[in-house]
Amino acid sequence: MKRARILFQEEILNVTVNQAGEIQTESGQLLPENDVQWLSPVQNPGTIFALGLNYADHASELAFAPPTEPLVFIKGTNTLTGHKQDSYRPDDIEFMHYECELVAVIGKEGKNIDRKDAMDYVAGYTVCNDFAIRDYLENYYRPNLRVKSRDSLCPIGPWIIDKEDVGDISNLKIETRVNGELTQEGSTADMIFDVPFLIEYLSAIMTLQPGDMIATGTPKGLKDMQPGDVVVCSIEKVGSLETHMVSEQEFYSSRITGDNN
Amino acid sequence: MNSNQLVKEKFVCVALNDAKQLNELNGTFSDKPYVKPPTQPVLYFKTRNTWSSDDAQVSYVGDSMVVGASIALVIGKTCCRVSETDALDYVSGLTLTHDFSLPEQSYYRPDIKGKCLDGSAPIAQNPVPLSDIASLADLTVTTSVNGEEKSVLSVSQFHRSIEQLIHLISTIMTLNVGDVIAVGFPGDRIAVQVGDNVSSSMSGLQQLNNTLTGE
Repeated sequence: MKRARILFQEEILNVTVNQAGEIQTESGQLLPENDVQWLSPVQNPGTIFALGLNYADHASELAFAPPTEPLVFIKGTNTLTGHKQDSYRPDDIEFMHYECELVAVIGKEGKNIDRKDAMDYVAGYTVCNDFAIRDYLENYYRPNLRVKSRDSLCPIGPWIIDKEDVGDISNLKIETRVNGELTQEGSTADMIFDVPFLIEYLSAIMTLQPGDMIATGTPKGLKDMQPGDVVVCSIEKVGSLETHMVSEQEFYSSRITGDNN
Repeated sequence: MNSNQLVKEKFVCVALNDAKQLNELNGTFSDKPYVKPPTQPVLYFKTRNTWSSDDAQVSYVGDSMVVGASIALVIGKTCCRVSETDALDYVSGLTLTHDFSLPEQSYYRPDIKGKCLDGSAPIAQNPVPLSDIASLADLTVTTSVNGEEKSVLSVSQFHRSIEQLIHLISTIMTLNVGDVIAVGFPGDRIAVQVGDNVSSSMSGLQQLNNTLTGE
């Protein structure tokens, strides 16, 4: 089952997406996609864990040695936005790039979870685009919040697909397309620390809860993003997540509070 | 760890905002891995599993733990890219938080192991309305362990003011009602032991008490 959340006629609805790709409400009504706005599929988003340098080819692309322990950072829930929504490029920068990632969504509370039981705690999977702005990197809690916790810069979705419908996640194709051109290609087979390892690792530190998310890192293939670009992050069997790039000024024109703009 | 009702969504902490600490570390910031001093506030999250309340017991983890206290701002309305001048309009009140963590050797990587321990961020649940505070700059946080005073830090000793922090943080991320920002911890964190009672006061206007228990 693919479970999504949408805005339809100013109401937030939990829906499912059937095999034909149709959006179906809990009462069975089919909604035309053009009439809905996709939201983040995680109803009560908890802690968002993300992995840095979790693909060897990506680590070498950034001139880092592969880590011997997971490089985990936390993202704010302000970063989340849905499928086919806007993300922005800051006006004063040289380089920002997408990061197409498989996300495991936690479905059950647990602490000190053994690797062999780890998948019992996963509800399903989704796709995220964990954008990074390289100009803003500083070597304090790197990657710092200014790089990785910006509004709208973690599109996620379109849906959560039940883990049973995906099965084995150890060799899923990862692809990113910018304006239709294939710019990133990889496989979850090249992940350094896999989902069961990460659940064991994180739950040894802290209690994991339903709604927590683990974004598992991205493979090689970076490309700068510009306003007007359409970027689609796809993970085999899970889904394709589309994002529309806009300028910072356009993004914030309706959002800034107060009268200082 | 479910006794917190105050923090709703995000709990952001500002590190290295004790001007004296920053000054002392400044000599190391030109070296690897830092290379350059920070140009922006150094921020970390306390994740939702850490949120707790006054009088909560805190589990002692590992061989050594430390604590620091900070004033915690509670956001009262949606705050997106506000100026320093307007910043305080978005704060509904001030309270106190304790950040229990493992001792920190480096500021280079996010410290998930040290900072995300269950129940490690107790926060006093009844904020003092901003209107009850005569002068922010004069506020002082005093922390005692088992009745003995261990640290004192005033807002006037911060590297960045509360207004500057709200401006800079709200430029990165939209803050929502019930988000919390811990604006500055003393540079020297206090070592604690199982059984210790940690007690902080914000100029006598707010108190926070926690006890450390064995796991």
